[in-house]
Amino acid sequence: MGPVELLHMSVFSQSFSPCGRFLAAGNNYGEIALFSLAAALSPDATAANQKPVLTFTAHEGPVFSLLSTDCVLLSAGNGEVSSWSWTELTKKNVKPLWTKRPNYKSGLEIPEINSMVINPRDNSLAIGAGDNNIHILDLEHGAFKATLQGHTDYLHCVCMREREAELLSGGEDGAVRMWDSRTGQCVHCIEVYKYESCARPRYGKWISCLTTDSDWMLCGGGPSLSLWHLRSLSPTSVFPLRGCQRQAAFHQDMILAVGEGAFVSHCLLGGEVKAQIPCTPPSLNTMQLNTKSSEHRVLTVGGGSSNIDVFTNLSYRAFSLSF
Amino acid sequence: MGTVTDDEVIRKRLLIDGDGAGDDRRINLLLKSFTKWCHSPGSPEEGFTQYQRMLGTLAQCEFSMGKTLMVYDMNLREMENYEKIYSNIEQSIMSAHDKIGECKKEIQRAKRIRKNRQEYDALAKVIQQHPDRHETLKQLEALDKELQQLSHIKENVDAKLELRKKQFHVLLTTIQELQQTLEIDEKSDSDDHSQESPAENGE
Repeated sequence: MGPVELLHMSVFSQSFSPCGRFLAAGNNYGEIALFSLAAALSPDATAANQKPVLTFTAHEGPVFSLLSTDCVLLSAGNGEVSSWSWTELTKKNVKPLWTKRPNYKSGLEIPEINSMVINPRDNSLAIGAGDNNIHILDLEHGAFKATLQGHTDYLHCVCMREREAELLSGGEDGAVRMWDSRTGQCVHCIEVYKYESCARPRYGKWISCLTTDSDWMLCGGGPSLSLWHLRSLSPTSVFPLRGCQRQAAFHQDMILAVGEGAFVSHCLLGGEVKAQIPCTPPSLNTMQLNTKSSEHRVLTVGGGSSNIDVFTNLSYRAFSLSF
Repeated sequence: MGTVTDDEVIRKRLLIDGDGAGDDRRINLLLKSFTKWCHSPGSPEEGFTQYQRMLGTLAQCEFSMGKTLMVYDMNLREMENYEKIYSNIEQSIMSAHDKIGECKKEIQRAKRIRKNRQEYDALAKVIQQHPDRHETLKQLEALDKELQQLSHIKENVDAKLELRKKQFHVLLTTIQELQQTLEIDEKSDSDDHSQESPAENGE
């Protein structure tokens, strides 16, 4: 990795290991790097601990999405999904368990996979792909069991509404669709850009970030980041954040959002922005909270640089890991 | 005691009184003056003064021994005191840990409550935008009444229309029957006339 490549690197996805001690990050060169959090957070950590313990090329295209289950790491790049065993990765063995490709209708382009989410009820993986469809892969049998069609442009993000077993998807066409995960029918379709309070016509109508905690939903992108009450399907608060948000999350009583702008925004549910914590990449693409571990509870953000900022306390940046 | 080596004894003695000044020297001097006094041929006053002097030295030795014993006692008691303080501090550290744990739980609960309150506020804001339920009900009631009145009027008008229709129908049928009767009469009149004239011509 020469200095020029490092300069042009963007981190697109991150995922923590099931034990919470490792962080996997995917960049635009198709590489996945494994960082040891236990080493980087220990009291006698050196600069060498902030480098990856393992870097390997996983796909030919950028790795836009990483997801961890109890024992495997799923990565999506170049239109295919690969599965890597975490135990093998910690032993530096980089052979994937399997690689699958959803059957895309169009043969010319390779649709990118922007987002994946796991449905724990029936152990299936929902893949939001660039061919405007959601492909459902059954992880037990390894076969694609359904395709949810309805979007008119490629998908940016998918997430799971646990309680009602619904899948939410947001795409470039500005629609947030809710699918029943058992029947595969589209239950609701919200076109966010049609609501005056959220719409920002000069940015467009695409939805790039979507997250839910079963009662409420956060969505943003071209339109402003807004909080929606799902049962009444109405927007309750709109957050006055400049720029387009690429990832948002509910955390305790706050909302964390990252996107354009070199900071992590902390917002309250009422709609006010409480704080904006600066960080090193000029714009952020991905944000992950390590909820699986109790001693390495950190927030990591990555974006338009080869650095991944680590926050041990949400109020300030502690240090950075670098590719 | 026989196993204690000379080295140990020397070391201990050096430790206690290495430089030769102090109690050790005093005891040695006492012993020497005692032996000198026993063997001295001098006068009784000298002997007496020497005796007094020896008693004084002995008293000094006893005094210093008493002091050392007291210091030793004091050290023991200080040690106990420090032990007590140490265990107190340990206990307070544990209780502080517990309190910290409790406070963390409290914070989590407070954050949850705050989140719920904020969700409530957000929903309330949306609900406020919709009109009041009582007003809407009243408007609905007023509309209902209007609707009833209008349908009542419509019924009346319909009934009147029916009645007029029937009356016209009666009138028209009567006129038509009259017309028919008149036509029949005319026809029969003209028939009569035509029958009469050939009958007259024929005569």
